[in-house]
Amino acid sequence: MPAEPRRSQILLVAWAVTTFALSASKDPRVLLSAALAAALLFRRGAAPVARRVVVGVLPFALGLPLASWAWLAWREEAPPVAPFATLALRAALIAFVTLSVLRRVDLLRAAAPFPTLSRLLVLSLAQIHALRRLATESALGLRSRLPRRPGTRDAVRSSGAVTVALLSLSARNARDVGDALRSRGFH
Amino acid sequence: MHVPDGFLSPVITRPAWGAAAPLWYWAARRNFGASATESLPILGSLTALAFVVQRLMIPVPGGTSAHLTGVAILAILYNPGVAFVCESLVLLLQALFFGAGGFTVLAVNALAMGLLGPGAAWLAYRALRGLSEPGAAFAGAYVGMQVATLAVALVLGLQHRLDPAYMPVPFEVTVAATMLPSLTVLGVVEGLFTVATMALLRRARLLHAR
Repeated sequence: MPAEPRRSQILLVAWAVTTFALSASKDPRVLLSAALAAALLFRRGAAPVARRVVVGVLPFALGLPLASWAWLAWREEAPPVAPFATLALRAALIAFVTLSVLRRVDLLRAAAPFPTLSRLLVLSLAQIHALRRLATESALGLRSRLPRRPGTRDAVRSSGAVTVALLSLSARNARDVGDALRSRGFH
Repeated sequence: MHVPDGFLSPVITRPAWGAAAPLWYWAARRNFGASATESLPILGSLTALAFVVQRLMIPVPGGTSAHLTGVAILAILYNPGVAFVCESLVLLLQALFFGAGGFTVLAVNALAMGLLGPGAAWLAYRALRGLSEPGAAFAGAYVGMQVATLAVALVLGLQHRLDPAYMPVPFEVTVAATMLPSLTVLGVVEGLFTVATMALLRRARLLHAR
């Protein structure tokens, strides 16, 4: 087994080639076989990934083709279902493979040889975490200041002040992350 | 307006990667080198904000989804190259960690939502800012949203034209389903979001970091 970051880089390249190959297929038998192979290959940790695909991806992967089919059926006559089902299967399968591979890859280590990419990745991830944390804190703060559960009107009324605070704090956070990166040799 | 993985074949996605890769390299080198140290905090904040607003997606018939982009402001405050890199990062993170959009379609989504849309927003803003700055920002964001949405619809339509068995939704359905919410609601909301965020940045005295 090659050492990091080489292992993560090899996995990422293999994943990129696989997703492009899957995206080229429109044969449901090939896609079903690939789905079976993926389920076997990634059986360890498959349940949480499948749950993520069902919750986060399947509503889109199924919803979009279903809505498109319904739209066409309503406007003209019902088109054949097979191409729409294949579309949904292809999208769900690529998502399953992507999430399964990314569970096994250390993205930041894989990006380590590319300083600009590493810096942008670290900064973006840090900002997203910070923004989520600050949004939760702001929501809790709003709730604590009101004698009742805050409604939509309360949220809209306080959104300006909250966003100013969020932007100020996230700018400060980005500055800290930038300083930390520079101190570790990322220029 | 993300196109998910599996909706476009490599016939389209490979040339898109070929076109986007040198643009990413050029834009990142030009805008995110050592000289960008001062602007990184506010850029990071706006990128994170774009990430948050883009997470709220509504699927629409035709193979895409309706949502705000939040990147017109990056083109207006900086330049379309900055918006392109930031939006590409947002799309990459969404594809890798949340299963939204995807890796094979990353270049298509980035070119549409990160370059063409913000590029149009930047041009419209520069053309109109002499009249009224908030008005120009609103118009820029509105125009940028329409251009990005139309670009996505055109690409999906092209996929249908190339291979109807692969992408069974015809162009007229895609364009109607994507442009209708974009023209009536999303463009207006994106415009208001851009104007409001610019006002908030001024209020928070963050614009000096540009």
